[in-house]
Amino acid sequence: MGSSSVAYRVSSDPEIRVHVSELACCALEVGSAVTRGLLEPDAAHHEPSRIDVMLISGTVTHLLAPLVTAQWQALSEPKLAFAVGACASSGGPYWDAPTVLNAMTEFIPVSGFIAGCPPSPESIVESIRLLVTQS
Amino acid sequence: MSVRRSIGLLENDCTACLICVRECPSQCMEIDRHTEQVSQGRRPKTVHILDAFNIDFALCMFCGLCIDVCPTDALQWSDLGGLAAHQREGLISDSADLVLRGRD
Repeated sequence: MGSSSVAYRVSSDPEIRVHVSELACCALEVGSAVTRGLLEPDAAHHEPSRIDVMLISGTVTHLLAPLVTAQWQALSEPKLAFAVGACASSGGPYWDAPTVLNAMTEFIPVSGFIAGCPPSPESIVESIRLLVTQS
Repeated sequence: MSVRRSIGLLENDCTACLICVRECPSQCMEIDRHTEQVSQGRRPKTVHILDAFNIDFALCMFCGLCIDVCPTDALQWSDLGGLAAHQREGLISDSADLVLRGRD
């Protein structure tokens, strides 16, 4: 956890490579985007990527924050970090819990926040494309 | 077909009673209101007037409890596609953003 080696490409824009920090249930929605063909596994036939996107998908605890940060630091530029769902954006329903981090922004320059608890696979992929275009 | 929906507000139906705000488990709702005296009928009464209605979609878990408890059905499920922003504050929606979409 926190150092997923599998990368994906956005099927509708394969120059966007997606890395997932699989922390909680939002990661299942990302998995569902793969099953629905919205994301596809990164393969040798793909063109070099234009940008690397890391999805922080789930509840970040103080214990896991260093692992998520390490995963981010291992990615090469240009890269963007997006918070998927309520937990990664603000702590979500666990915002009051002593073990839960309310924002990854103090460790990582998060430049996108995707609403939902969880967001649907369609809206995750739609939002990735939107946020990358606007960045 | 949109399986997951968002929360919409019929601003004119809201009586600013704050029941949704009190019930919200993730405390993502905020209402500003003031009171006014109206003197219709035989005796004057005090009513709440809605000034501002905000939902922080960075906190909201879309459980729909606010919609269930709303006594005037001012809150309803609404179609809102992917909602994303570059800043966390960008996910705070006011009553203009919360306008109902995709009503049958």
